[in-house]
Amino acid sequence: MKTKYIIFAGFFLILIGAGIGLKMFFKPHADISKLKTEYKVEASGLILEFEQDENAATAKYSEKILEISGNLVSKNKLPNGTNLLVLHDEMQGISCQLDSIWAAANQSAIEALETGKAVTVKGICKGYLMEIKVSPAIIVSK
Amino acid sequence: MQKKLFFLVLLLASANVFGQSKFIAKNAYISFFSSTPMEDILGESNEAVTILNAETGEIGFQALMTTFHFKRALMEEHFNENYMESTKFPKAKFNGKIDGFNKEMLKAPLANIKITGLLNVHGVEKSITVNGMLGLESGKLVGTSKFKVTPEDYGITIPSLVRDKIGKEMEITVKATYLTFGN
Repeated sequence: MKTKYIIFAGFFLILIGAGIGLKMFFKPHADISKLKTEYKVEASGLILEFEQDENAATAKYSEKILEISGNLVSKNKLPNGTNLLVLHDEMQGISCQLDSIWAAANQSAIEALETGKAVTVKGICKGYLMEIKVSPAIIVSK
Repeated sequence: MQKKLFFLVLLLASANVFGQSKFIAKNAYISFFSSTPMEDILGESNEAVTILNAETGEIGFQALMTTFHFKRALMEEHFNENYMESTKFPKAKFNGKIDGFNKEMLKAPLANIKITGLLNVHGVEKSITVNGMLGLESGKLVGTSKFKVTPEDYGITIPSLVRDKIGKEMEITVKATYLTFGN
């Protein structure tokens, strides 16, 4: 009788282990809209922080969820279909690649964006390469 | 100091606009591919930055490791945390020169080139020569390259448990569509 319980417990533990393993393996990518914003910043201020001390700003913001407000200077599509928004400055501003799943469900919001107007974007800050890279990102409606 | 350096770079860059002696791509494509018996591993980034000096044929290329996206979130985690140590070594860099460069290459259709330079990945720098293509495609200057690297050459250790299952070499693919600086 005791052996039976041990076998059952062992089998149960293996099942749980396999379940956790499979869940981790098939873990979906983060849904930006559901993640908590860690920093709310203005585009110009964020750029200034990276320009003044790239290492310190990278340590502070890299892989963090940012909500960035600024002037939309360009709206494009990359060859793979990804929507690209650039804030503040075309060459050395903030480059935001929109989340493809979010973009597919929010085409009208993307189409409504006008360059020269203010926009707020929420996304994961990846660091600085001539410009600040944010991806994946979504547009936050105000 | 950093700020002064930034403005110096900006000044040099804007001085070059008039001569249009530089080409830039801010959303260049870079991928790495490896095949395993279970499934293929493909990491892709559309956020690499590359500058091509039209006078000298020098090419600079940089990518942030955390911009590589994978099919599975777990692959992305392993790539950044276990293998590339992206917090410690956030960027991969290549600085090189096109062998036998002449300015006509920038106006001609896509043709084979060889580039020799230093590749810095995971904090380890190695001299490499890679094959590529450079020239006009649909009126735009395009540069591409495909080459193989061995992770161990760059101090990237892959646990023995999975090492045999992953191809010894990883295939790197690069594609950049350049714009003249300032345009």
